[in-house]
Amino acid sequence: MSDWPLRFEAELVRLGVQPERARQLGAETTAQAGEHAADPDRFFGPAHLYARHLVAELQSPTAAVPSLPGPVMLRLAGVSKRYRRREVFSGVDLTVRGGEVAAIVGANGCGKSTLLRICAGLTRPTGGDIRRARRVGFVPQDGGTAGWLTAEEHFTLFGAAAGMAPRKARSTGTHLASRLAWRPGHRQPVQELSGGTRQKLNLVLGELHGPDLLLLDEPYQGFDQGSYLDFWRQVREWRDAGRAVVVVTHLLHELENVDHVLDLGAHGGGDR
Amino acid sequence: MTALTVAGLSAREVGRRRTALLLVISLPLWFYLVRRDLTGQSTRMLTLGIAWAVSTLTLFVVNAARGVDPRLRLSGASVAGIIGGRLIAMSGFGLLLAGGYLILVGVDQDIDRFWAIGLMMGITALIAAPFGSLVGALLPRELEGALALLSVCAVQMLADPAGTIAKFMPFWSAREIGTYAVDGGGTDLLWRGLAHAGAVWLLCTGGTLAVFAYRLRLARYPEPVLERA
Repeated sequence: MSDWPLRFEAELVRLGVQPERARQLGAETTAQAGEHAADPDRFFGPAHLYARHLVAELQSPTAAVPSLPGPVMLRLAGVSKRYRRREVFSGVDLTVRGGEVAAIVGANGCGKSTLLRICAGLTRPTGGDIRRARRVGFVPQDGGTAGWLTAEEHFTLFGAAAGMAPRKARSTGTHLASRLAWRPGHRQPVQELSGGTRQKLNLVLGELHGPDLLLLDEPYQGFDQGSYLDFWRQVREWRDAGRAVVVVTHLLHELENVDHVLDLGAHGGGDR
Repeated sequence: MTALTVAGLSAREVGRRRTALLLVISLPLWFYLVRRDLTGQSTRMLTLGIAWAVSTLTLFVVNAARGVDPRLRLSGASVAGIIGGRLIAMSGFGLLLAGGYLILVGVDQDIDRFWAIGLMMGITALIAAPFGSLVGALLPRELEGALALLSVCAVQMLADPAGTIAKFMPFWSAREIGTYAVDGGGTDLLWRGLAHAGAVWLLCTGGTLAVFAYRLRLARYPEPVLERA
């Protein structure tokens, strides 16, 4: 018998559930897995993640009523970037709260990726004021992985960076990958993965440490139709879980799914 | 914790580059075989071969991680953890390589101060890792970095060992300790070599940490004031 129910109960208590209620939920979930003759770890995924998911579900009012936006996760005021004499953009304002999705659109070369890197803190702005939640996940357009390591080794590496134990990082990564309909192979180095699967790995690595704000730079490059739909479903789940998402995109038909659109194109910045 | 994980995974990464690894491991052997008849020349050339092999491999490992490092920083890793871990892995590889070739020299040559040969090779391997990392930090493109290492190695081999230029080369300590080990010089040679090696190691390690601390710095933004819609 694994210690999954104990870890599950402990995480529920840590998240504020009364110990008695946590015990009851633990017993119910274990019984549920038992009905399917499955190990809870395999059936529900890592205990801490399922506990978080369950608490979020219990706290959401009803599915039909959209949740109110949460606290501000990212605020840009008059942000500008200049490379020597060339001004990339100026006067960019954007506010994104928890439970909101913002899209950054614009023509090639207008500075979408640069702005996202500025939001992450990887590139410094020339001017303006930025306030941002501390825990941030960044998913680049391409690259960002080590070609000779496997996906599981990436989970271990990025987990260690975030202070996670190797086993927990691997189980969390594998569980997050399954939500994108991907099961990482044990021995396959990343350089042998398809472009779309590498991007799924990038998405999982961006989310592994549970950030409050996700910054995604056209993360669906190479996705097939199914993966693309999975991605947007995932974005909605992040939003419903109270996270803030900023996604660079050029696919304008997806803009109906977002709360804010920042067009960096002709006007050189401006939130509408 | 991060440093040890980075070290372990860097070692695995290097281990999977089988062809490159084989070429790197065999490189010092050609240096050794060319002057095998002369004990002093062959062991010094072998040591320079180890230096070149370890620094080149480190350069490529550092460059391969260029896309990963900023993301690790965003996830919470420190620069010391990332760069230190990689240096631990590559220094370990260098010591293993030096150990292997030390056995070869022990079997193939008759040397009184054999331990000093081991010291020369080990110290050179320990310097080569941060030296390769520093070159990789300063010259981000692989071709440029490899050419820079080639230039340094060529000057190191061709410069008059007693001249000023040689003293400014990173592996001059190998010449001093090698002379002590093979030609039976005084202990002043040994101490000079150790002092030079210590200074170069500090310079290269400090330099690589400083360059990466600058390159991997993150802008620190204040958190938004807590306000709800």
